[in-house]
Amino acid sequence: MLDAISTLSLLALLLGLGLGYAAIRYQVKGNPLVDQIDAILPQTQCGQCDFPGCRPYAEAIASGEAEINQCPPGGQEGVDALAELLGVDTLSLNQEHGETKPKRVAVVDEKVCIGCTLCIQACPVDAFVGSSKVMTTVIAEECTGCDLCLPVCPVDCIDMVEIKPTIRTYVPDISELAHA
Amino acid sequence: MTVKLLNTNQIMRQVSYALALGVGVQVYFFGSSVLIQILLACTTGLIAEALFLRLRGSEIKPSIIDGSVILTAILLAISIPSIAPWWIIVLGVSFAVIFGKQIFGGLGNNPFNPAMLGYAFLLISYPMQMTQWPADYLSMSQAVDVIFSLSNIDGLTGATSLDHVKTQLTMGIPIQELELNSISQLWINIGFLIGGIYLLLRRIIFWQIPVSLLLGVAVMSTALFLVDSNQFASSLFHLVNGATMLAAFFIATDPVTASTTPTGRIIYGFLIGILIVIIRVFGGYPDAVAFAVLLLNITVPLIDFYTQPKVFGK
Amino acid sequence: MLKFKYNGGLKLENPYPVDEIDLIRIPLPDKVILPMQQRIGNQARPIVSVGERVLTGQIIATIDDQRCAPVHASISGIVVAIDEHVYAHKSGLKGLCVTIESDGKDEWVDTSIGCTEHYETCTANTVYNKIRVSGIVGMGGAGFPTHTKVRLAEGCHTLIVNATECEPGITCDAALMQAYPTKVIKGIEVLLHICKAERAIIAIEDDKQEAIAALNKFCNNENITIEVMPTKYTSGAEKILLKYLLGIEVPTGKFASDVGVLCQNVGTVVAVFDAVVENRPLISRAVTVAGSAVKESKNFQVRLGASYDYLLSFVDVKEGSHKVSMNGLMMGIELDSTNYSVSKNTNCVFIDQLEESKPTKECIRCGLCNTVCPVDLLPQQLYWYSKSDNIDKAIKYNLLDCIECNCCSYVCPSQIPLVNYYQYSKALYKQQVKEKQQTENARERFEFRELRLERNKHERAEMMEAKKIALKEKMAKDKAQKAVIEAAKLVHGSQDDS
Repeated sequence: MLDAISTLSLLALLLGLGLGYAAIRYQVKGNPLVDQIDAILPQTQCGQCDFPGCRPYAEAIASGEAEINQCPPGGQEGVDALAELLGVDTLSLNQEHGETKPKRVAVVDEKVCIGCTLCIQACPVDAFVGSSKVMTTVIAEECTGCDLCLPVCPVDCIDMVEIKPTIRTYVPDISELAHA
Repeated sequence: MTVKLLNTNQIMRQVSYALALGVGVQVYFFGSSVLIQILLACTTGLIAEALFLRLRGSEIKPSIIDGSVILTAILLAISIPSIAPWWIIVLGVSFAVIFGKQIFGGLGNNPFNPAMLGYAFLLISYPMQMTQWPADYLSMSQAVDVIFSLSNIDGLTGATSLDHVKTQLTMGIPIQELELNSISQLWINIGFLIGGIYLLLRRIIFWQIPVSLLLGVAVMSTALFLVDSNQFASSLFHLVNGATMLAAFFIATDPVTASTTPTGRIIYGFLIGILIVIIRVFGGYPDAVAFAVLLLNITVPLIDFYTQPKVFGK
Repeated sequence: MLKFKYNGGLKLENPYPVDEIDLIRIPLPDKVILPMQQRIGNQARPIVSVGERVLTGQIIATIDDQRCAPVHASISGIVVAIDEHVYAHKSGLKGLCVTIESDGKDEWVDTSIGCTEHYETCTANTVYNKIRVSGIVGMGGAGFPTHTKVRLAEGCHTLIVNATECEPGITCDAALMQAYPTKVIKGIEVLLHICKAERAIIAIEDDKQEAIAALNKFCNNENITIEVMPTKYTSGAEKILLKYLLGIEVPTGKFASDVGVLCQNVGTVVAVFDAVVENRPLISRAVTVAGSAVKESKNFQVRLGASYDYLLSFVDVKEGSHKVSMNGLMMGIELDSTNYSVSKNTNCVFIDQLEESKPTKECIRCGLCNTVCPVDLLPQQLYWYSKSDNIDKAIKYNLLDCIECNCCSYVCPSQIPLVNYYQYSKALYKQQVKEKQQTENARERFEFRELRLERNKHERAEMMEAKKIALKEKMAKDKAQKAVIEAAKLVHGSQDDS
């Protein structure tokens, strides 16, 4: 009886010491959780999650202030990925924050643009090129489709155009390949 | 290299045909009880599979006609004592089909050999029924009586050679003094060996697993025999007794649960062979094929990972 | 005798054997539809407009990327449309095409301008450029711009001419070699000159005895040898050919040019000859038309852009419903109709009787696919990972080395279309890499913008501070000055009084 107690106690002590040492020696610097969450978020910087950008939202999730299902551009896959990262149950996308739309880019109708620069100031990733009273245009590769430029344009000359797959970017559909 | 193109259904059928010779020899020595078991097993297997497929919402017909559940049923029916009560085989096959195959997602998704899983379940839960083997030839009516519990089976049972060796050894009698009358076992194993060679020639199974398994059995048993020939049986004994040949050509070669890389297969077969002898000699049960196979099934992903062939250009 | 061998591959028989192989010249098509999106590179930009008359061999579309080749008119006539047509591609997506209606004259551009007939006296650069402006791309099916490939392989030690044509059923290269053996040899000499290789090897399979005889007859260059290889599928894949012929394994991610070898399809070699010596750009190619529904398989020299229907009008097609496929039964694609046109990389059109497709079953992990993969991959593992979208694991198992030869799906007892899964995961991977790059960009730009706004704020604050201080100083200075003036006034006033 005494043998068993003393053996187990000794084991507990040794393992506890080992764990403590490992916790200090192998501690990861910084706050990687926020970085990991930020890496999953789509970086659209649209603010639909009610936070001013993806990084603040990531910080809010990490500190527990926000739920994981507030990001429409990330879609349900994004919510699931966040759930897996944090080891919690997944939720369905909160529709109050908007719906997931296919990837789009902004296109300026040059006949209507008046060069007011309001869109340039509104874009969170500086995807507009232009200046005061000069024609403004969008750098398509940089546009994240966040829609923030739409409400500020006074002449409503910006359209969101869906990106269609081309022969070079086509991803085949394998759902029909699986047998019954 | 030319490859004979068979589809999956044909492969399963060919394996079932190859078992016919060994089963025939078994019928010659011990009567048609094994055929009754096979019939019961197949019926139970088909019903269990159909039921579970319906539960899973999958189409029943393609999965039933692919022959894999028939194969599982036949293998389990051959592995158990042929005079076991009818409910043994029914329980065993149901367990094998449901817990060995269907809950993992059906054919191709199971990590454990279903027939061996069913066997292990039966052996552990009903050790008495699983160790009462027929001593002699039984006629059809006798077989029916016994299986459906219509009469007592005392007097009809006897130990297998493996059982005999184990119990006698525990009583301290050295092997040389034992009378080993295992002619029936020898011929049954030869029957399965011939069936297995047929499968090899038709390229339905690959040589790596049977050869390495038999080698493993031979190596381990010879090693032990050399250590003390009184305590341990010779390798020939181990090779022709019990389910060695059945394991080598029909059970361990189940493609779904075996290793996939060629080197991996050699390791897999060899380790099963070694384990079979170790468990037979040092373990609590007389025959060890089921446990050896199940244990190695667990290690298959590891073996596969470490035996990947070198990729072109790396 | 070959010293080397490779694992995997399949011995396949020609499903459409024919007694005599011939290259048949057919009349000009009435209309050609030329696609702007070639297999490699971005879409070409048409430089002609609807209604314009063009000559044969005239450039009608250019690409800004100098590594890619332009598109030429394959007949003379009027441009009747520049619009979208469905491309002969798995996706069934539409792309821009230029349609030209023939005027029947086949009037060529002036072929004396810019001719490099005496290429031995030209610089390598001139010849590369000539190959580029002649629109030459790899004719074996891959369509890689030839001038870029040759340029990358400059200084190589061996030129391999790929005349293996290992895909069963295709015989257009054999027909080409039998019809123009001198062009093949002279084209090799052009390439030898510009890439400065020490020797050239024509790799050809042993089922093309007539072509071998023709080449032997006309080859009297001691630097060119003809290596006859046993017929085996995937021997013609570039990396496999290098291993089989020279025993060199090209490292993953690298190309033949990195190991000092230039490999060109024999059709490309003939096109190089035509372009460099005869000043004729790529406007036609040899195409095999065959199939179980075609009475006799034939090879045609046809202008690019001619429709499949036009080709089929020269063969006897049996009645019934058909399966149309392009570029072979192993590496080709199935199409829904014959409403497509011949492009630079179309090497065959097969019309087969429709057969009942065998149903796909579950993978039983038999490992047969592993034994036939010529690139020593584990197709079974790739299948399981692609099916579960585990792209990272699939990449780790060298998914990107897969040459999509279809040997694995051919032997699969469960008839699983394995290569479709690999194409899916490769496309998915490409998409993921692109998305990752874009999100990185977006994050950086966002952070920089935040930084910029902060910086602006600070600068403004500092500027305000500086203005305040300046104003204070000015006010103080003004005050001081006022005080001095007041003081001076007082003194002046008292002086006035006295």
